[in-house]
Amino acid sequence: MTTLTPTPTSTTGRSTAPEAPKTVAVRPRNRAVFVRRFVLPPVVAAVIGLALWQLVIVVFALPPYLLPGPIDVWEAFLDRAVSMLPAAWVTMQEAIFGFLLALGSGFLAALIMARWAIAERGLYPYLVLLQTIPIVAVAPLFVVWFGAGMTTNVLVAAMIAVFPVAANTLQGLKSTDRNLVQLYRMAGAPPRVQLFSLRVPAALPSILTGLRIASGSSVIGAIVGEFVAGIGGGEGGLGYVITLNATQLRTPDLFVAVLLASAVSLVLFGIVATIESQLLKRWHESALPAEE
Amino acid sequence: MTDTLAPTEAPMAARHSPTGAAPLIEFRQVEKTYSNGFQAVEPFDLTVGRGEIVSLVGPSGCGKTTVIRMAAGLSTVTGGDLIRRTEQLAYVFQDPTLLAWRNVRSNVELVAKLKGIDKATRAAAASAAISTVGLDAFQKSLPRQLSGGMKMRVSLARAITSAPELMMMDEPFAALDEFTRENMQKELLRLWRLNDFGAMFITHSISEAVTLGHRIVVMAAKPGRITTIIDSPSPPTKDDAPRDLDALAATARTISKLLAGEES
Repeated sequence: MTTLTPTPTSTTGRSTAPEAPKTVAVRPRNRAVFVRRFVLPPVVAAVIGLALWQLVIVVFALPPYLLPGPIDVWEAFLDRAVSMLPAAWVTMQEAIFGFLLALGSGFLAALIMARWAIAERGLYPYLVLLQTIPIVAVAPLFVVWFGAGMTTNVLVAAMIAVFPVAANTLQGLKSTDRNLVQLYRMAGAPPRVQLFSLRVPAALPSILTGLRIASGSSVIGAIVGEFVAGIGGGEGGLGYVITLNATQLRTPDLFVAVLLASAVSLVLFGIVATIESQLLKRWHESALPAEE
Repeated sequence: MTDTLAPTEAPMAARHSPTGAAPLIEFRQVEKTYSNGFQAVEPFDLTVGRGEIVSLVGPSGCGKTTVIRMAAGLSTVTGGDLIRRTEQLAYVFQDPTLLAWRNVRSNVELVAKLKGIDKATRAAAASAAISTVGLDAFQKSLPRQLSGGMKMRVSLARAITSAPELMMMDEPFAALDEFTRENMQKELLRLWRLNDFGAMFITHSISEAVTLGHRIVVMAAKPGRITTIIDSPSPPTKDDAPRDLDALAATARTISKLLAGEES
């Protein structure tokens, strides 16, 4: 017998089992290598891009209202960014509420569709239909029903974000390893246990991919909502700010608003990516360090 | 159709059932035909006694997996009678089939937990099983931190934690390298000596079928059927008595000829 340990009934004494693997932190060999590999390339690309941009402005003598140069945008950013923060906060709230609404409803719809095939056959076509409706065309309807303001913007954000959540969750729930499902079935596990102990955890990578897409979509939805239903008086979001600056040809300010909208997206994306990493880092390939 | 070589099935089953109890499972002219008319397995008779290991060997498409899936209740029987006298089943797949997000202990306890076995009992059974397969030091490890052989040991430990009377094993060692595979065969026999289960063991390997089986069921494809059931001349025993390797090698040669004859 060439097993690693003697049996419990063995008389040969102490276990000779090998030691558990020690976790070894794998880091780049030194900071310089990390900077050279991961920081330098995007920084160089950005510098070249900005230089070309400025060059185009100078060579063609373009006025700032048509295309501001990076220096104009930077000056506008220093001058206007702080005053635009309340608008960015409004957009972020709408995007977060819309995202959460999409998360709840999309997840629930996917659970129902995964549990009952007839529900999937009945609901999925309408979910796809929802995705094909131009959001700009529907937003005015929401204004009619719910009035201009946050409620409408949240609903528009949710509407655009619900499909990636539902579709990815459903895909994940339906992709559970067949043998594992049989293992649960043979053990007599009821469908509810099968769903929450096996299928939902196994679907987490797909669910989280859906959430990552939805985090960006919800910001787009919120801004589209604001284009149509945004309000002024200090309560308008970045969509409203963008519309205002565009109509007044304050193009450098418009660029600043766009940058802030992008920052809002990045913040939401970062939150979801952090949660994803925390949930998957121990066991899923996608979240493991490359060296492992 | 079914050609049972001497000694006959009944005395064999009795030999592995000291109490003379009825077989754990009996196939009586069982067959499987799918709704599209494809017959996966022709009618066959087979029994598995208590504490008996029955190996099923044959080429791809001969219906080996269909037979144990019917035994496990994962596939319906379309003809004949299938009598199973135990509900204490365990199924070991070709892949370890572990939950990637649960550690070794949690995976080992899983089936017992799903079956509603109380926490203290399953914890004790899991501890014993983990010790038996030599993974004490890896209880907190996740499946991704284990080698292929270790993962398969977790799968075996999970199976024995639910104290099965009948194990169904679908090519569990097929994906392992030769060295690990040989170790796992020894491991399985050691578990069998410690836990009195009967087993149906599917394999593509003639030597594995002969090493593990008290009886070896030889199957053929197109159509899937049992051609011969051979009693091992030197079966594994509870006291790990030395085995007649020459006789086992001769049996392997016989099976090899049978399979070659079917193919030609």
